[in-house]
Amino acid sequence: MKLTPPRWADRLLEWFCAPHLLEEVQGDLHERFQKNARVFGEESARWDYIVSVLGFIKPFALKRSKELSSSPLLYIQIMISNYFKIAFRNLLKHKGYSLINIAGLAIGLACCMTIGLFIRDELSYDRFHANGKSIYRVVEQQNQVGTFYDIAVTPGPLAPALKADYPEIQAATRIRQRGLRFLQHDSTTIEIEKTAITDNEFFKVFDFKLERGNAKTILLQPREVIITESTAEKLFGSNWRQSDKLLGEPLIMNNEDTLTLAGVVQDIPVNSHIQFDALVSAKTYEGIARSYRWGNNDYYTYLQLRPEADAMALEKKIVNYIKGKEPKSTTTLLLQPLYDIYLHSNFAFNTDSGSKTSKIIYIHIFSIVGIIILLIALFNFINLATARAMQRGREVGVRKAIGALRKQLIFQFLSESVLMSFIAVFFAVFLLIAFLPLMNNLAAKAIVIPFTNPYFHLTVLALTLLISLLAGIYPAFYLSGFQPVKVLKGVFKAGSGQTFRRSLVVSQFVFSIILIIGTIVIYKQLTYIQNKNLGFDKSQVLVVRMKNNLYQNSANMKADLLKQTSITNVALSSTNLVDVTNSTHAIKWEGQLEKDEFLMTLGNVDPDFLPTSGIKLIAGRNFNATVTTDTSSAYIINASAAKRMGWTPEQAIGKTFSLWETKGKIIGVVQDFHFHPLNTLIEPFVFRYWPKELYSRMLVKTNPGQTHEAIASIEKLYKQYEKQTAPQYEFLDQALDNQYRAEHRTGTIVLYFSILAIFVSCLGLFGLATFSAEQRTKEIGIRKVLGASVMSITTLLSKDFIRLVLIANSMAFPIAFYVMNSWLKDFSYRIDIEWWVFVMAGLLAIVIALITVSYQSIKAALMNPVKTLKSE
Amino acid sequence: MKRTYLGEFEEIVLLTVAIMGDKAYGVSITEEIEEQTGRSVSVSAVHAALHRLEEKNMVSSYMGDATAERGGRRKRLFSVTALGNRTLDEIRLLRNRLWDNIPLRIFSTLQ
Repeated sequence: MKLTPPRWADRLLEWFCAPHLLEEVQGDLHERFQKNARVFGEESARWDYIVSVLGFIKPFALKRSKELSSSPLLYIQIMISNYFKIAFRNLLKHKGYSLINIAGLAIGLACCMTIGLFIRDELSYDRFHANGKSIYRVVEQQNQVGTFYDIAVTPGPLAPALKADYPEIQAATRIRQRGLRFLQHDSTTIEIEKTAITDNEFFKVFDFKLERGNAKTILLQPREVIITESTAEKLFGSNWRQSDKLLGEPLIMNNEDTLTLAGVVQDIPVNSHIQFDALVSAKTYEGIARSYRWGNNDYYTYLQLRPEADAMALEKKIVNYIKGKEPKSTTTLLLQPLYDIYLHSNFAFNTDSGSKTSKIIYIHIFSIVGIIILLIALFNFINLATARAMQRGREVGVRKAIGALRKQLIFQFLSESVLMSFIAVFFAVFLLIAFLPLMNNLAAKAIVIPFTNPYFHLTVLALTLLISLLAGIYPAFYLSGFQPVKVLKGVFKAGSGQTFRRSLVVSQFVFSIILIIGTIVIYKQLTYIQNKNLGFDKSQVLVVRMKNNLYQNSANMKADLLKQTSITNVALSSTNLVDVTNSTHAIKWEGQLEKDEFLMTLGNVDPDFLPTSGIKLIAGRNFNATVTTDTSSAYIINASAAKRMGWTPEQAIGKTFSLWETKGKIIGVVQDFHFHPLNTLIEPFVFRYWPKELYSRMLVKTNPGQTHEAIASIEKLYKQYEKQTAPQYEFLDQALDNQYRAEHRTGTIVLYFSILAIFVSCLGLFGLATFSAEQRTKEIGIRKVLGASVMSITTLLSKDFIRLVLIANSMAFPIAFYVMNSWLKDFSYRIDIEWWVFVMAGLLAIVIALITVSYQSIKAALMNPVKTLKSE
Repeated sequence: MKRTYLGEFEEIVLLTVAIMGDKAYGVSITEEIEEQTGRSVSVSAVHAALHRLEEKNMVSSYMGDATAERGGRRKRLFSVTALGNRTLDEIRLLRNRLWDNIPLRIFSTLQ
């Protein structure tokens, strides 16, 4: 009987082996099988056969599409290097176009990378905590006379109580942010910007690393303090690390509390929403009933849940927890994930001011702007590539006639865009290095390019490939689709693809015009805010912070300051009028209906406050230092408060009003003034004159032109009354402007990007204009011979482009109106978007387009017809 | 143009083709190499090497006769081309030159 090799192995071989090799291969294998069977027996031969068949699963023997079946590797290599060679030659041959393309792409990519780095930085906040995913902040929702307010702070006893009651909580800590403090060690006294009060669990929840001290026992005792490395350096000198008896050293805080140094913590990363220079143990304050009870919200509470715990379920369980402790309370609790705090916090009464936060909206704005600029650059590339189709058309025709396949041509054109993109990326990185400091300055960040991070290189590579694909895919398909017979014969419609190109130009200008309008509106709104009459005179007012011994001596310092000729007025106050959040609904008034309550914002001032701030009285009188009842039972309210209580300003005078059970009379009504940023409406406000409560600020009104003298005398007198601290003061108008810093930043950044967007669009337009002028040289020559003027030819060439910009205008206006209107909705006091903004943006776009196009048009129109017509 | 590079196995296969004269085809070459070198060689490796050699124009081939044990399939017979011969010569000359340049002392220790 004749032996046969295994049937299935044979079938497998027939299936995968290239047909032109099958006969010899199968023949050889069969021959070997027969020999093996004779020598070693059938079993062994069958086995050997299977192994041999599998051995043929090698590139050379595999079946593949027909056209590549002969020697693929060598020829593909040569082909690809040829593609790049041709691409490079094309690049050098048309230097102008290449420059426009590469410059546009480089700017677009640089913008994208800048914005990408910015967003990466914003998203990196709080991500360095290893268990960040299971960390939550407990926040409150308070019901204040019918309105719900989100509050970021919670009672001090909450964290330990929650941990004791719910086993799914692994660790719970609280942080109370305190302001400026003074730390003294031996003879060195330093000011520290941010102090926080916390407990031992802080180091269990968060990953802040202790350089010195034992994380297990730290902050368990009262009067313990931890400082950061940079604070240690300031306090103990730069070689504090060498000192071996650092821990246990006594530090005196604010001249009164002696604390023990219990540890040194590594400096807090910039991208942490919790920032501090020193931590004091919460035990120190637990005895003080006023700040440590269920009715007081002073602490941020953070929980770390066990990995398996369900946060949603826990949130449901704790929602009414406060009610269990304070039966009268209507406050409910919520959990806020740690990762949401930096970008998604929006809390009332400035209760989140202890955290460093930003807004997600800026990320949205910047990513949209970045994508727009990149799109504009991509459209340039597509436009110029297809516009020059006729020149390339002949090449395509010849290539196809010789036998190039469409697939190969697509690949060729894609390799051109890959080359272009890589050159652009190269320049983009240089632009990025050059302009990142500017961006850092604008955005108040310290971003560095992560050259050492492999993900950065991968992302840039991926971005480059994506860009080359997006830019190259349409031209590649368009160009490779030409029919060789037609292009080589010269039958070639010059206008083919024109509608597509035009729509790309239109969309470029739509984007640019929207950005122009956006910039104008943002700037107008910001100027409006800055120049709006706030109801008080913010110019020439210095706000001095009272510190340490100054609280007691404020009246003396005030008297001394008033003697200076450079100073016209001085007032003591509890507020600087910038953003007053101190408010209460513990008020009663004459004629109050039952259950009628509202929130009243409060200020404690002296009689000089109204003249110094320029707030106008519209009824009644100011506080008077000589009237003794004024310091205990007199109130001045604003017009909104009078209206809310149902009186006209005149009617309000003499009415009974009580604040926190302190009964008194209303002696005056002032005009409404803004004490919140302009995105909120003016609310009821009451001034009291209670000098026994210490004033925290001094408002100094200076004579115009004598600010320097005034500052000098403030500093001199400050030193006289308060030796330990440095004077801290600010100009009221600057402090007010600082409230809109984020808006200003956005405005400036959007302005810069708009300019870039317009520039890139114009690059493309310039390229198209050059191209169309080149195309029509013959036509222009004939027209000139027949007597056309330079003017008429210029108009002829520019007309088309201007029409496109006009269409873009009409499309951009409604979109811009809608977008900017929704941005403005955030402001209670805002500008109307006036018609001239649109006209101005439209005109600007037309003028810029005209300037871009007319250079080429005039050049073409001035050409000597003899030159253009003689060559044929 | 620089000389095409030959791998060690390719060189062996090319030499074997030269040895075999007009009887060089997949199985015969495989057996010859196994016999000469004593190492086990797979048919597919030989085929792949022949394929590469043909791509480099070192060997040429034509389809020969069919036999019964091949199931009526033809053999592909290989022969060394002029370029292949020259390449083998060059390799040999190079090797000889290198051998000649080894100082005598080392040469004797090598033996």
